[in-house]
Amino acid sequence: MLLQILVNGVLMGGLYALMAIGMSLIWGVMDIINIAHGSFIMLGAFTTYWLFSFFGMDPFVSLVFSMALLFVLGYGVQKYLINYVIRASAFITLILAFGIEIFINNAALVSWTADVRKVKVAYGAANFSFGNWVTIPTIRLLAFFLVIVISVVFFYVLNRTNLGRSIRATSQDLDAARLVGVDVARTYAITFGLGVGAAGAAGTLWSVLFPISPMMGGELTLKSFVVVIIGGLGSMLGPIIGGLALGIAEAFGTNWFGSTYANLISFTILVLVLIIRPKGILGGAD
Amino acid sequence: MVILEGKNITKRFAGLVAVGDVDFNLQQGEILGLIGPNGAGKTTLVNVIAGVYAPSKGDVFFKGKQISGKKPYQVGRMGISRTFQVVKPFPGMTVKENAAVGAMYGAGGRNKSAKQAIQRAEEILEFVGLADQMNKGADQLSVASRKRLEMAKALAMEPELVLFDEVMAGLNFSEIDQAVQLIKKIRESGMTILIIEHVMRAIKNVCDRVFVLHHGEKIADGTVEDVLNDEAVIKAYLGRRYKELTH
Amino acid sequence: MDKKTLPYVLICGLILLLVILFPLFSNNFIIRFGTDILMFAIMASSWNIIGGYTGYASFGNVVFFGIGGYITAVLMEKAGLHFAIAYLAAGGGAALFAVLIGLPVLRLRGHYFAIATLGVAEAMKALVQNLEITEGNSGIYLPMLDLSIKGQYFFFFYMMLGTLILTLLVTYLVLNAKLGYSLVAVREDEDAANSVGINTTLSKTVAFALSGFFTGLAGSIYAYQQAFLKPGPAFSVHTTVKMIVMAVFGGMGKLFGPLIGAFSIEIISETLSNYFLVAHTLFFGTVVILAIVFTPKGLIDMITKRKFGISYFLENIREHRI
Repeated sequence: MLLQILVNGVLMGGLYALMAIGMSLIWGVMDIINIAHGSFIMLGAFTTYWLFSFFGMDPFVSLVFSMALLFVLGYGVQKYLINYVIRASAFITLILAFGIEIFINNAALVSWTADVRKVKVAYGAANFSFGNWVTIPTIRLLAFFLVIVISVVFFYVLNRTNLGRSIRATSQDLDAARLVGVDVARTYAITFGLGVGAAGAAGTLWSVLFPISPMMGGELTLKSFVVVIIGGLGSMLGPIIGGLALGIAEAFGTNWFGSTYANLISFTILVLVLIIRPKGILGGAD
Repeated sequence: MVILEGKNITKRFAGLVAVGDVDFNLQQGEILGLIGPNGAGKTTLVNVIAGVYAPSKGDVFFKGKQISGKKPYQVGRMGISRTFQVVKPFPGMTVKENAAVGAMYGAGGRNKSAKQAIQRAEEILEFVGLADQMNKGADQLSVASRKRLEMAKALAMEPELVLFDEVMAGLNFSEIDQAVQLIKKIRESGMTILIIEHVMRAIKNVCDRVFVLHHGEKIADGTVEDVLNDEAVIKAYLGRRYKELTH
Repeated sequence: MDKKTLPYVLICGLILLLVILFPLFSNNFIIRFGTDILMFAIMASSWNIIGGYTGYASFGNVVFFGIGGYITAVLMEKAGLHFAIAYLAAGGGAALFAVLIGLPVLRLRGHYFAIATLGVAEAMKALVQNLEITEGNSGIYLPMLDLSIKGQYFFFFYMMLGTLILTLLVTYLVLNAKLGYSLVAVREDEDAANSVGINTTLSKTVAFALSGFFTGLAGSIYAYQQAFLKPGPAFSVHTTVKMIVMAVFGGMGKLFGPLIGAFSIEIISETLSNYFLVAHTLFFGTVVILAIVFTPKGLIDMITKRKFGISYFLENIREHRI
């Protein structure tokens, strides 16, 4: 029983981690808290839904499309919108993100109505069992596996490619990066694109596991915050540790206290972490 | 009377000993210079006195009372003001308002209303020579004026002891001479001064005594003449050619 | 009073007179609209105290609104107390909560403070959803005000107006007293503020408590007006967004900025929803985006500097882009 809860927590945690990777990247590099993050997750989810509904495309295949589409969207949003206020106080950027969130959520609401949708794949009910101890739905396992793959790819891009080097340089010192020839504007746009692309991937995987609706973003943004804070900024590992921590904490918490306490648990953890150790578990750069 | 005394002051940051076992004292009304190479621990020592850091070991006594471990605002209200090496004005306020805040919350602030503090601020600005820029935004001042404002904020607090941290940095010769005159005026009005400086011209013209820090330790302490001719100080900081160049 | 400020005082007095007489000439719907504007003006102005003047941008101020509302609901419905007592208790309770939560949370700066306050608001919402005394998610009813329909509309309008006047008056007094200077000093340079003798912890906490107090009062009136309260709407992050946008749009750190912002945003919002029944929130989002990009310093900046042209907007962009 305990093992089952743990496994559930880990699987959920992986998904939380993927959600948070995008937010952590944008926050860590550009010092922007993307309040609209959840909205982008929602768009990724709906991309998968519509591709599935109209073309019968398998959600795991549509992952590529949703990531690409959202990368382009993110790049555009940064370059043509966020860029204009980026040097103003962080606070102004935050409000802009709020405006974007309102816009995207309501555009979705208007276009697709508030109906809750579900991506029902044929193999949705299949699951693995390990004796009497643990049962894992196949799609959850697949999703978790993909989270690992995507995280590894991100890690590789950030640490082993030139692009990644430019991104890291820009995050450490904007002016210095400029001086050594990094195209900062372009780097910012790409970073934002990558972050939003990750959100899109998270959205796709979410759509396979849970019902989706245009207003689903808000809560996911908050959850992502919690994960980023717990794990700490400054490394790719942060959101992963944070996601797993939150997933497990929620799994056990809701088991002991009931599911209505899920939110209370996550937000109390958030506030406590901020008070006691604001840098999070892996607390790196500020 | 000894107005400020430090005994065995040590400040450690993780493994690094920024200030190691330093003793010093200031007589009321004197101007004590603190010199030494960069990284010697001078600003750290001032930060310990001002309450920004609590000492890892040792104590600071102000007029006989222990102040080590008190918070900066408490130290400020007791009668010790300090300036920052990289000046910290309040950019969104005018010059007058900047000084007024000092008058409101410093040692002399207890009995002052906001209005009275603003009046006091005007007097202080007159004293330091910034009266003509009173209503300018603090972010619009020249470097020399910013340094003056930094001093004005500290003086508005009506301290008995002032800690000046490199107020001469970035000034040209005539500005340095003006600043020296101002510091002398401040002493004449009854305050005791501890001044950190790299500008030897100022140290020579203004200080009664000097002490020297190097790698966190005190290596010399005495009159200006003695210290500037001290072998250890020359080796650590001034350099052989200093004697040649200034004679 | 010198010659310079006399015209401003007269204008303010005139506007106040118009506002006071306003309900006598309007229908209930418009009175309700005006009441909502006043409510947001209170919240935006309260937020301004901690966010605009002290520089600590709280993203959870709705928590005070909700606490004020629920204290009122519980005291009136469960303890049978009179609204007057519930109203004061709501403000006091919210202020007390501000002090309690402020002590740990005001130690954080910038982003972290914002998120911590957001977390507190969400946690409080979740807590209220699970408590029995607040009736959880089903919602709690309040006793209805014993007046005619018109009378009720009048009552809530004037309650909100009175609370707003109180908020602005107290803010004005604080600004001209030492406390006000200390808040701005904290915003401009907290370390310098500390070394100049300001007990920044005390100042910040007082600012936060004031902010909570008035927001709590607004929540109290709201709860009584609605006669029904649910955790979702009472602690909605959307409310926080609105009050912040209003404060910024009108002009943060200025006394009347949030009021102007609340008025403008609500009018714009209402106009949009009349023209675009379905998509008005969409256009609201667009308005927020455009406003922030082109006038980040707020309307008051435009008014006081008398710059209404395109060049002002472009100047802002050039200053802020990468």
